Amino acid sequence: MSHPMLMPIRPTLAAVCTTVLLHAAPALAQQAAEVQLSYSNGAFQPSEVRAPADKPVVFRVKNLDAKAMEFESKSLRVEKVVAAKSEGVINVRPLKPGRYEFYDDFNEKARGALNVQ
Amino acid sequence: MRETIRCARHSSALMGAFIALLCLGAFARASTWAASSWHDIETKYIFGFTTGSGIGIEGEKEFTIDSIGRFGKRDGHYAATETKYEYEFTPSQFVQIEFGALGSTHNIGGVTDLDNRNAAGFAGGFAEFRYLVLERTSNNPLSVTLAFEPNVRLIDETSGERVHNYEFETTVNADLELLRNRLYAGFNLLYEPEVTWTATGDTVREATLAGSAALSLRIVPNVLVGGEVWYLRHYDSPTLSAFTGDAIMLGPTLYVQFTPKMFMVAAWNTQVWGREIGNPLPLNLSEFQRQRVRLKFAWEF
Repeated sequence: MSHPMLMPIRPTLAAVCTTVLLHAAPALAQQAAEVQLSYSNGAFQPSEVRAPADKPVVFRVKNLDAKAMEFESKSLRVEKVVAAKSEGVINVRPLKPGRYEFYDDFNEKARGALNVQ
Repeated sequence: MRETIRCARHSSALMGAFIALLCLGAFARASTWAASSWHDIETKYIFGFTTGSGIGIEGEKEFTIDSIGRFGKRDGHYAATETKYEYEFTPSQFVQIEFGALGSTHNIGGVTDLDNRNAAGFAGGFAEFRYLVLERTSNNPLSVTLAFEPNVRLIDETSGERVHNYEFETTVNADLELLRNRLYAGFNLLYEPEVTWTATGDTVREATLAGSAALSLRIVPNVLVGGEVWYLRHYDSPTLSAFTGDAIMLGPTLYVQFTPKMFMVAAWNTQVWGREIGNPLPLNLSEFQRQRVRLKFAWEF
């Protein structure tokens, strides 16, 4: 059973939460740094990319080859299979400064790195 | 009994030969790999019984068969195994969840305080929640994960008796990259309180406190070898107020990545020092065992 004194708090709390969420979602989207990569002839182009520290990163990987590739990184802790002639989107948490390697799990020679500064 | 032991030895030899063949295959494959193959490695399983801080990668799923065998008591013949049939997944870049079933075998004969037994069966279930507290970067070689693992057992790990056992294992898993993509050190701190209701109606409360240190060297891109040491303390109280004995175990470890989606872990620990409160004999074979062996196969998908 609800306490009568608590009743007015509920709409206020809901309004606060809604406001926070409405503000937070676009803010997070705006903060994400986008990294564009293409994959052709079994190699990443470019193989070294940059992103700012403490902001989410969105990788957009265009696979131009005629076979699927798997974008993978142990240090970024992400993996995604990108079908032939298509684009994959990979969301990464805000990162601390450093060098984060990535590679194609189907082709160990294809490697690249994200430099976060 | 002799026939059983002979069969067990034969099976062990076959298993050993099988692992040796797999390892040879992995070494052969390793020799054809380029220098570019020395990329980042998942550290969770490279230290044997010691668990690394790795939590996998977001979206990754894994099926694992993880067997631990414990051998040797003060007298008689003692061999017990517990196998985890485990499903593991990583729903976010900071959390890993595992759960599964437990199976056990007990082959016990002539051991003081334990009934003779030759049995195998479903032993219970478990779940594990792992949270990455500190992540490694190229500027910070240390990585730390907290893990919580509740277990429910219907068969006692040591004696093989029917029981109701509830255990809550809490561990800190840390590892340090000493040489980039080559040499790693692992450290665990473990606190494992448990309560057991026996078939005779007794309630037993106990706890294990332990710490470990391990080193693992990547000799080729897909093979790591190393060693680990464990210090274990046993208490007849979850609050660590009734100390009953301790032991030191050490031994070698092996990790082999057969394919990008399949790997194996093998480890062997032997008790090199131990004491039981009230028993002047060397080693602690009441709460621990002379030898323990771990063999784990995992498939990612």
